[in-house]
Amino acid sequence: MQHFFFNTDLGFTILTLAQALAVLVPLLMGVAYLTYGERKVLAAIQIRKGPNVTGPFGLMQPFADAIKMLTKETVIPADANRALFLIAPILTFALAMIAWAVIPTNNGWAVADLNVGTLYLFAISSLGVYGILIAGWASNSKYAFLGGLRSAAQMVSYEVSIGLVIVCVLLCVGSLNLNDVILAQRHVWFCIPLFPMFVVFFISALAETNRAPFDLPEGESELVAGFMVEYSSLSFGLFFLGEYANMILMSALTAILFLGGWLAPFDIAPFTWIPGPLWLIAKILCILFVFIWVRGTFPRYRYDQLMRLGWKVFLPFSLAWMVLTAGFLMATGLLPQNPGLAHTPPAIASGDTK
Amino acid sequence: MAPVINDYFPVLVFVVIAFVIALAMVGGSLLAGKQKPYPEKLSAYECGFEAFDDSRRRFDVRFYLVSILFIIFDLEVAFLFPWAVSLSRIGMFGFLSMLGFLGVLTVGFIYEWRKGALEWE
Amino acid sequence: MIVTAFFYIFAAILVASAGMVVAARNPVHAVLFLILAFFNAAGLFLIAGAEFLAMILVIVYVGAVAVLFLFVVMMLDIRFDQMREGLQRYAPIGAAVGLVLFAELVATLAGLKIAPVEAAAPAASGLTNSAELGLVIYTRYIFLFQACGIVLLVAMIGAIVLTLRERVSSRKQDIAVQHARHPADTLVMADPVAGSGMDGQILRAPGWTPALDKPAPARLETTS
Repeated sequence: MQHFFFNTDLGFTILTLAQALAVLVPLLMGVAYLTYGERKVLAAIQIRKGPNVTGPFGLMQPFADAIKMLTKETVIPADANRALFLIAPILTFALAMIAWAVIPTNNGWAVADLNVGTLYLFAISSLGVYGILIAGWASNSKYAFLGGLRSAAQMVSYEVSIGLVIVCVLLCVGSLNLNDVILAQRHVWFCIPLFPMFVVFFISALAETNRAPFDLPEGESELVAGFMVEYSSLSFGLFFLGEYANMILMSALTAILFLGGWLAPFDIAPFTWIPGPLWLIAKILCILFVFIWVRGTFPRYRYDQLMRLGWKVFLPFSLAWMVLTAGFLMATGLLPQNPGLAHTPPAIASGDTK
Repeated sequence: MAPVINDYFPVLVFVVIAFVIALAMVGGSLLAGKQKPYPEKLSAYECGFEAFDDSRRRFDVRFYLVSILFIIFDLEVAFLFPWAVSLSRIGMFGFLSMLGFLGVLTVGFIYEWRKGALEWE
Repeated sequence: MIVTAFFYIFAAILVASAGMVVAARNPVHAVLFLILAFFNAAGLFLIAGAEFLAMILVIVYVGAVAVLFLFVVMMLDIRFDQMREGLQRYAPIGAAVGLVLFAELVATLAGLKIAPVEAAAPAASGLTNSAELGLVIYTRYIFLFQACGIVLLVAMIGAIVLTLRERVSSRKQDIAVQHARHPADTLVMADPVAGSGMDGQILRAPGWTPALDKPAPARLETTS
């Protein structure tokens, strides 16, 4: 049996498929219930009840929504570019799922344990612009076009500071592998020594996922729904799900880079009994709660303020902090001493599968 | 057989699954929903009147400027990645080398700041 | 075996999509095919074992350069009839440049064998290729590295010189100025007698200056 799964082509493919589904199915459920959770939390913030009709505590609400959206008509505007119009939501949603291939859920448990896992995530997040840009252009509607352009410029602006923050973390790790990033936090989570970077990263994550208070691209009061205005039915649903999947992804990334991923907060008995994946999920839930909390609390930014914050505050600040971190590590000799080692391939990779 | 490419097989699996799910959702809604198009429904959203002209038109040049500046800083970050994972091996020389590089770019950054390229109103 | 198959798949899609970049009538489609070509090139890098380069190709070319291309082709309303007019005039020059490039390509590739690249042997040091690159870029190739910095600086300045237009009429928010404002500079407390009004006067603080950086008018005093 062991031999079949690790040493034959078919077995390895089935194993990988099973692993991928084991990550993606809970993720999709998580996305569905995040929409429910957000409505409940927002309701609590505004002293309302939130969805409570479908099922106990409204727990069947996501399924009711899904069925409703599935049976709605897909309206494709006459002047739109049909193929691109349908590709855009598919791309947005698929990218949010593809990124999960490298997220480690326990020590060494990543479906794809890449040497360059951090770069992979950075690359995937830099592709998020396309879904929005293509949607805005393919709709051939003014609101959609304006929303798409704004959104693209916004995501691009905050991407730079995200990159600089990641470099800052990598300086303390000495490896691009995500599992190594977590292992480097055994003694202290990076959110403590790199606290300002943690804040910059979280706010940039809000901007990158187009969440309030940076949800200008879909600002209802001026752009109706921005790049999504012409979408209906499940092609709208895919944008919606993609946004929430991206939120979970950014939360997972925050947890991995700054909150020790699957590590228990203290390396002592009662904490270490709880398995790593549960810690990761708990951390992701906490960050997601803050995402929603922020939405319930802050007014929307104006576009010039948004660009100013990205280019004139975060960019110079994170660059300076990165140089300071490097200088500090150089001066104190705290740099990771043996960086950049290729990780030993796990048993799966050593078997010749092809 | 390169071990590197083995590592990427799961990525391929994820890509396939993700696109299959997404396509199934769009395809499912196309099949399940009643399609009853008529010209008014298919016209682009506007506040009640016909759109004057094509929506794809010349746009504010500052969007280009933002994306050019983004390319430059993205390249800067790309140079920082290998530096971050090899800093303790290349020592003080490598550190100063990067400081020089960043210094040159900071000059450019200050220039664009002073010229007001980062201003939006 | 499977890797070889993937090499040919990637290579075929790469060449086909590169052809479509030229052939596509809609410039936006052309850029999207270009992106597809970049992805396949990244796949070829992966097969050759250069994972760092593959990721950087996606981050820089797909994530940044192609975004600019898309911005440009989406926002310039290109008229196809106008482009056709230009074709007649520029065709000879274009053909000449193309011919030179093609000759160079032939000269370079004449001795090459077109076949899958053997995966590079893992470096003896056991380092990932990002760390291997880091070892040489900043030290051995420092002059090239610094030259890159200067090229980027020139690009930055060039972009600003070419695209930046000063807008005189626009209002900008200066947060420092807003924070530095003091109530005493802007507020005047008045206590008019009931029914008398302010005699049509506008109350101004002693140091008040109007917005938009116009020269301050003569001090306005109230007569109450």
